[in-house]
Amino acid sequence: MTEKIIEKLTAKFPAALKDHSEFRGDTTLKIDAEHLREVASFLKNDEDTQYNLLVDVYGTDRLKLGQTPRFAVNYELYSIPKNSFVTLVVEAPDPGRNGGADGSGRFGEPLPKVASVTDIWPTANWLERETYDLMGIEFENHPWLHRIMMPDNWVGHPLRKDYPLGGEPVYFEKDRNNPRFAHLGKQIMAGPSFETELPEEMDTNGHMVLNLGPHHPATHGVLRLATELDGEKVIRVTPELGYLHSGFEKTGENKRYEKFIPYCDRMDYVSPMNNNLSYVMAVEKLMDVEIPEHVQYVRVILAELQRIASHMIWLGTHAMDVGGTPHAAPLYCFMMRERILDIFEMVCGARMTTSYFSVGGLRWPLPGAFMDAVRAFLKEFAGYYHDYHVMLTKNPLWLSRLKGIGILKAEEAIALGITGPLLRAAGVPLDLRKVRPYCVYDQFDFDVPTSTDADSYARYTVRMEELHQSMRIIEQAINQIKPGPYRTADRKVALPPRQEISTSMESLIHHFKLVTEGYLPPVGQIYSIGENPKGWLGFGLISDGTAKPYRLRVRGPSFVNLQATNTMARGGFISDLITIIGSIDIVLGEVDR
Amino acid sequence: MGVAVGAPQQGALGGAQAHAKDGSAGYALAKLEELVNWGRANSVWPLTFGLACCAIEQISAAASRFDIARFGSEVFRASPRQADLLIVSGRVSNKMAPVIKRIYDQMSDPKWVIAMGDCASCGGPFNNYAIVQGVDKMLPVDVYVPGCPPRPEALFYAIDKLREKIKAEEKLGVRE
Repeated sequence: MTEKIIEKLTAKFPAALKDHSEFRGDTTLKIDAEHLREVASFLKNDEDTQYNLLVDVYGTDRLKLGQTPRFAVNYELYSIPKNSFVTLVVEAPDPGRNGGADGSGRFGEPLPKVASVTDIWPTANWLERETYDLMGIEFENHPWLHRIMMPDNWVGHPLRKDYPLGGEPVYFEKDRNNPRFAHLGKQIMAGPSFETELPEEMDTNGHMVLNLGPHHPATHGVLRLATELDGEKVIRVTPELGYLHSGFEKTGENKRYEKFIPYCDRMDYVSPMNNNLSYVMAVEKLMDVEIPEHVQYVRVILAELQRIASHMIWLGTHAMDVGGTPHAAPLYCFMMRERILDIFEMVCGARMTTSYFSVGGLRWPLPGAFMDAVRAFLKEFAGYYHDYHVMLTKNPLWLSRLKGIGILKAEEAIALGITGPLLRAAGVPLDLRKVRPYCVYDQFDFDVPTSTDADSYARYTVRMEELHQSMRIIEQAINQIKPGPYRTADRKVALPPRQEISTSMESLIHHFKLVTEGYLPPVGQIYSIGENPKGWLGFGLISDGTAKPYRLRVRGPSFVNLQATNTMARGGFISDLITIIGSIDIVLGEVDR
Repeated sequence: MGVAVGAPQQGALGGAQAHAKDGSAGYALAKLEELVNWGRANSVWPLTFGLACCAIEQISAAASRFDIARFGSEVFRASPRQADLLIVSGRVSNKMAPVIKRIYDQMSDPKWVIAMGDCASCGGPFNNYAIVQGVDKMLPVDVYVPGCPPRPEALFYAIDKLREKIKAEEKLGVRE
């Protein structure tokens, strides 16, 4: 595949391909900035490539790597028909001090510019806005290049390497009369002194602009939807994000690889196990670590349990929002979720922020009662699963609120980079567990549920069937699992066992090195994706050979999926917007990161 | 003053004079402050407001297993005008801070604030450019709950502490 692309590219655009490399199975093509758009549309449309899904766009500040030009933009592409990934790296020409000065950099310096690919892959819209906001790279001919995470009046671009991590000392003292605390509760933070900008095409005179959120019970967190209405009809929805922006990427770049795992829990906080899995898989790919089979099975079992728990939250809140069964469904769903959280608590001591997977294996072995607990759960859950169907599947209220609402056709979904149940409900059977199996997913017999209706009800049926398939996977996994080591024997990554430390000098050295220094991955760039309950959770890692990632990129599936709100809600009623938000299944911690 | 309660509490109402012979509850004597505080403490209505991970534990606290209704706080109000308690459940970003301040200002007195979790209390693991290091920088916090996220039981403990605090308030409508 790679040779073919390179051959074709060099034949067609001799000056475009500057370099290409292979690292850990990832193909990276370095494209000349001048030819980006030609190459992009070629890769998307050519018979042999068909890279129709733009997975991610992120910038890199190479200031401390000493490379010139300073900024580069990475594009992660996936071809659904060919099942193949490729990374494009485009170096943004250095604007110099007197380049296209518009004064939007931190110290008023001009921003580097790259052509926008929004018209080739519409999903690039928000991804480019995020890169502009956090990295300060300007995308030419972007439809509406505004800040997306930080407030509009923010100065600077936080992900740049010369931008400090920020933060301040926090004092913990008992004495409340300490003058240090004099300011508490009195800091003046009046309402925003600036008006948040809305897109120019919003007709604020003829139509009513209704502001939903950031504090609204049906937005599933702190999301703001500026909705342009004609009567009750939705003309346009503009989501305004960033109310929960927590600087995960910047924080990760200042921590060792291992220490980012607890942060993963707090991104998509209803599926921490899956986040942990995707992240440790990314680091393991970078380090090229072999993982024992027992660990792979345990990871699959826990990840699928977490998928059920995540879908329980989705089902409960969705049913509550649309009022199908005002209070029964959420209570029923949370009950089953509590059972899963009990199992997690047994495994790692925490209900929600698990951090159980570590690079190279598990943090500690499974408790003895684990398998029985999972078996008991599966038995109980099967009954409740039936109850959910009885409550909702043929419920007339539920049907009338969901059927035909929020249609997102397959071609629109692919263009918007949608992944996960949303895409499968549009009829595209794209599930990474099936098409590119990781862990031991190829050992199990399970189906990828799809639907062709592409409406909210289709998403409901697809997710309900996913619950069933998860049950099947767990059942097979607990029957097939064999005892084994709970972490890899590779001493460069995993700590040696306690007994060995007191007898072997070498183990002691390994232990000391790992604890004080961490592990040092080779120089390189990888991108790794896991199939999360909400879609593809991608991690991009760029290593400079030190114990901390030089660049850590997180692609949140909710963030990309949320971009479809406008497409789905346009032309419908305002009450359907609530259904649509519920059926996308967003978690704001992951949207804003 | 007369109070139509079945079994007035001994401590809170300063002793009940119940005449059970004719079936009436009788009357009770109490300091007005204590009576009002007794009422307020037993129906602290929180605002339907969640920020991050802790909000999920807040929902779990309201669900059937933990059942916040045992403490009289099950009535989550979506409008700040009707709520007594703001549970700041999660990390407060610079962009969200003015919004929270406005929501707090919209709540009618008397009102209380619980900083749920490490992030709301002190910034938690997020000591960076994006996150305000503790919601107490702009709101007067009554109870801090440690934990990341705190379990629902920890939230109940905080609500219980808040009830103690409300019951001990000396003057009505006057807060520093």
